Amino acid sequence: MSTPHWETFSESVQGINKKLNQDYGTAEGQGSTEDPLVLAVADGHGAARHARSDVGARRAVALFAGHAREFAGFARSLVREESRGGLSRLMNYAQHDMPRRLVAAWQQDVLGHWDRMRKRSGAGTPPPDTADAEKLLLYGTTLIGALLTPQLFVAWQLGDGELAVVERDGRIGFPLAPAETDLGDETESMCSHRAWSLMRVHWSPVVGPDRMPRLITLSTDGLSKSFASSEGFPRFMAGLDRRLVDEGAKEVRAVLPQWLRQAARHSGDDTTMAAGYRPPHHHAIKE
Amino acid sequence: MSDIPGGPMANRPVHFIWLLDCSYSMQGKKIGQLNYAIREAIPEMKSVAHDNPAAQLLLRTLTFSTTAQWHHKDPVPIDDFTWQDVQVDGMTNLGEALHVVSRELQTPPMPTRALKPVLALVSDGVPTDDWKAGLRAVDATAWGKKAVRVAIAIGEDADRSVLREFLGNPELQPLDANSPKQLAAAIRWASTAAVKAASQPVAGSSDALTKQPPYAPPVLDDDDDVW
Repeated sequence: MSTPHWETFSESVQGINKKLNQDYGTAEGQGSTEDPLVLAVADGHGAARHARSDVGARRAVALFAGHAREFAGFARSLVREESRGGLSRLMNYAQHDMPRRLVAAWQQDVLGHWDRMRKRSGAGTPPPDTADAEKLLLYGTTLIGALLTPQLFVAWQLGDGELAVVERDGRIGFPLAPAETDLGDETESMCSHRAWSLMRVHWSPVVGPDRMPRLITLSTDGLSKSFASSEGFPRFMAGLDRRLVDEGAKEVRAVLPQWLRQAARHSGDDTTMAAGYRPPHHHAIKE
Repeated sequence: MSDIPGGPMANRPVHFIWLLDCSYSMQGKKIGQLNYAIREAIPEMKSVAHDNPAAQLLLRTLTFSTTAQWHHKDPVPIDDFTWQDVQVDGMTNLGEALHVVSRELQTPPMPTRALKPVLALVSDGVPTDDWKAGLRAVDATAWGKKAVRVAIAIGEDADRSVLREFLGNPELQPLDANSPKQLAAAIRWASTAAVKAASQPVAGSSDALTKQPPYAPPVLDDDDDVW
């Protein structure tokens, strides 16, 4: 069996007048069974009470990438058991277990970071301990992650930002878009109470290599909120897809930082995109 | 190749609405100082707006006395904002003012693409109409629920419980302005801190933990010239 080869790109730019970039993103893998496509972006909250959200975002992306690869490993073993309900067990895992495991791992990780920072903070007595919920607030971040193997396309989202998918026929979809957009830059977060229950999941088994999407992008809200109208972001996706088809991933990869900087100037926010693109005349990977 | 696809980009508006008590009890020094304080705060508001170029600060002013009246009905960009003195009139019909504001907080006319609005209430007295109905109308709007609210109590007679209820967050207290100097500081703070708070992304407000004050009210110096 041969699977399409995916081109990946990931860029992040700092918002204007911000002291540091609190976003993070990654795009890894080729979309094969052994080397699945893993995309993730996280947007650390900007307010002072989320002072370590840059760390929270970095850790959320790294932990997602690890968990996604582990999930792909489960998928490899379970899909073989399809006749015995392997796929439905996998779907159940994606919808229920994965969010809990991701949130628990993130919380444990950032609480560990808090402890290390507390012990390191200057000479003498470390600052007093505080409630875990207060500590987690410091690291607050959103997370969008996607995993694509030759058999599966699964994505998870907690908080704002966009997962956009361009199907092989050019249709553009936003499968994890909420029914109602949060007003005024408030978002659900990895630091929220019962955060795992707020995670939205997209589950889409891949019927065959030719039925795969041709472009998957994950972006933080700094991009979509920069457009003057609500049609701006879907138009951006259509334009991005067209440029990729006409000019190729190399050209788009070169110009993407400039586009994101332009967006950040208007939204004011850090702006990040991670994407996987399947060129129309791809080199197949033998499975 | 360098033009970003998707069409025009724009920064997002922050709608800032002053709600000013212009009842007879404000007559004399208080209304004079209020006019002075707001006029003096404009340069600092401009400075905050310029520090947040991704936010477009738009101002309106609603006065309330026997009736509620727009002093600036249409949103004015901060760079074009000039202050014309407000005058005192009659009663303290805060409820009517809140009803008027609630209509402006509906979508439309408020766009969905905006940063949180700011409602800044300044009062020295006790409302003389059904202010709770007006507050319910504000709270019933999506943007009203999200609004950053600040309240300034001028002098000892201001009904702080009404202002606390307007703030809608037990962590927040009205800022006491018991002298001209304190009023100037309070207006300066309300004009700037609230705009900053409105333009910062935060974790959602569904958690009790995240319902913390979005800004820290200042400690105002005492002054000999007390109202």
